[in-house]
Amino acid sequence: MSSDLLLLLPLLIPLYGALVCLMFWQQEQWQAVMVGLAQIAWMTTIVFLMQRVMAEEVLVTQIGNWPAPFGITLVADIFGALMLLAAAVIGIAVYLFSLQGLDVTRRRFGYYPLLLLLQMGVSGVCLTGDLFNLFVWFEVLLICCFALLSLGGTKGQLEGTLKYVTINFLASGFLLAGVGVMYSLYGALNLAELALMVRQPEHPNLPLLSMASVFFLVGFGIKSAIFPLFFWLPASYHSPPVAISALIAGLVTKVGIYTLIRLFTLIFISDLGFMLPLLAILSGFTMLIGVIGAAAQTDFKKILSFHIISQIGYMLMGLAIYTPLAIAGSVFFIVHNILVKTNLFLISGVVAQRYRTFSLKKLGGVYLHQPVLALLFLLSALSLAGTPPLSGFWGKLMLAKAGLEAGAYTLVGVSLCVSLITLFSMTKIWNEVFWKPKPGNHIPDKDLAPVSLLRLRQLHLPVILLLVVILFIGVYARPLVQLSVRAANGLLHIEKYTETVLSNKTLK
Amino acid sequence: MKTIILVTAIRYLTPLFLVFSIYILFRGHNHPGGGFIGGLIGSIAFVFHVLAYGSARTVNSYFQLTVYHQDRQQNNSPTQYMWDMVSANTWNRLKNRTPDWRFHIFRVRPAYLMAAGLFLATTSGVTGLLRGKPFMTGWWMEVKIPFIGSLGTPTLFDAGVYMLVMGMVLKLVFTMSKE
Repeated sequence: MSSDLLLLLPLLIPLYGALVCLMFWQQEQWQAVMVGLAQIAWMTTIVFLMQRVMAEEVLVTQIGNWPAPFGITLVADIFGALMLLAAAVIGIAVYLFSLQGLDVTRRRFGYYPLLLLLQMGVSGVCLTGDLFNLFVWFEVLLICCFALLSLGGTKGQLEGTLKYVTINFLASGFLLAGVGVMYSLYGALNLAELALMVRQPEHPNLPLLSMASVFFLVGFGIKSAIFPLFFWLPASYHSPPVAISALIAGLVTKVGIYTLIRLFTLIFISDLGFMLPLLAILSGFTMLIGVIGAAAQTDFKKILSFHIISQIGYMLMGLAIYTPLAIAGSVFFIVHNILVKTNLFLISGVVAQRYRTFSLKKLGGVYLHQPVLALLFLLSALSLAGTPPLSGFWGKLMLAKAGLEAGAYTLVGVSLCVSLITLFSMTKIWNEVFWKPKPGNHIPDKDLAPVSLLRLRQLHLPVILLLVVILFIGVYARPLVQLSVRAANGLLHIEKYTETVLSNKTLK
Repeated sequence: MKTIILVTAIRYLTPLFLVFSIYILFRGHNHPGGGFIGGLIGSIAFVFHVLAYGSARTVNSYFQLTVYHQDRQQNNSPTQYMWDMVSANTWNRLKNRTPDWRFHIFRVRPAYLMAAGLFLATTSGVTGLLRGKPFMTGWWMEVKIPFIGSLGTPTLFDAGVYMLVMGMVLKLVFTMSKE
């Protein structure tokens, strides 16, 4: 397959899928079938893309056959392809969950097309080679998030969405201003072109580059919920149904971190002496505040939401240490976290399907009724906390090792403490939801939502699927670790990237 | 808003707006204009129509087609039957129709318009891929058509945007006029 086609298919498949869904607006069963096919096709193309990228490092296509710095460029490298692969896996899992775990009204009012358009947005962010297009694709993704979060229009959802939309508009404003500043400083928006320009020490606008970088740090910082700008996340992520919040919680903030890592390794490298200590402080506080916030919560989904923040801190930690191993740790951690976080949200959804609540006080005794589910939760939770040999351990090991090598002892210390508190927090969920006897005065047995065995099994299916992937990358971590290291090398040595994008050998 | 002046004027202005919007759509390649602005101008026609007549009437006159049909009678030949059906749905529309005629309503929902527009715009780009070139590589016809200019895949893209924008505005207007 030519790289022109291979880079376009991850965008075209969700778009055409959404179009078919629009055509079958009234028949949500047909939409479900179409979306299932689209998910499989998306996964397949991304696997092909991954294969090609592993062989050739960087793939590029110039939209409309316009040469590189002038036209729109799509680029895939190992980091982007890995993100897409993780997104495709949770896409399939969330789709499977939504078949049984989402009410018909929400499905009828456009859940499926929105899901596909969100995936198109993610593909766009991960494949674009242009700063302005990065902003546009991020907006595509966020608009789908707005619609998904408010889908159904319950009071709690609207409240959460309002907070989410307001703060994200502000962030988008910062980003657009940042793009404008970059354009006025360098007169270019192509990432490869910019990467070459900012590496010319005699460029007159070089001292102003750190000003532009602050716009992007704040903008993407808000969108990926890093330390002082995280407050919108726990306020909005717990409100929608699980089939929606699992997808958004698993994916969107990580895409924010992806762009931060991409931009701060490719473009904003001139003032690292100022930026890296700042990032280190931010990541330390992000980890700490997230996990402390989680300790205070008594709601299944809210605890998980706060943990998203603390995990974001780890991903930022790799960027702050800025050695090849640390960036590789971040990449590994992002992939691991996308899978594990989605899985934990889905488990909370399976519990809530039966018990109709997320409150830890009202839940209890799930272990007696669903021991398999308890086991699935235990493995996912231990993986999140980073117990060897599960996947979280390897990510944290790489980060801690890189931190110790680079002498960032405080940061490593904080990250290890936070791991311990994460474990405490997961134990709390385990104790309250699965282990303790059911508080009898709250839900008598007959009030449990009537769930047929078949339906329950179908709900377990995506959780098991994700857990198999998580166990695989935990027990047999070597391929993913190697890929992460290669991705980090690609990020830190940009010659191949710029050469491939600007060579224009694809022009015909 | 239902004044006699507006109602009469809109009757003549609606086609004018539509023709002008299509002119804007086609001149968009080398001059100011194009699919987006053309779609907006075209939707003005329907916005005014909704203001003057109400959205039910607008949908009735522009966005739905009622096809009448009836079972074939014993003494009718197939040709005669076809002729009757065609005439009842075209020039004899609604005239000598008896109440026992069945009918089927075909309705163009704004969502369909949007989907068709998006499909057209995307597919115009995919033609580039089919020719083995990058996505959205333009292809132009050699001949020049007077007044419209040259046609090519970018024209199709613009037409798709035109439909998308029009569908979007119509969806907004129909929804808001229901309030």
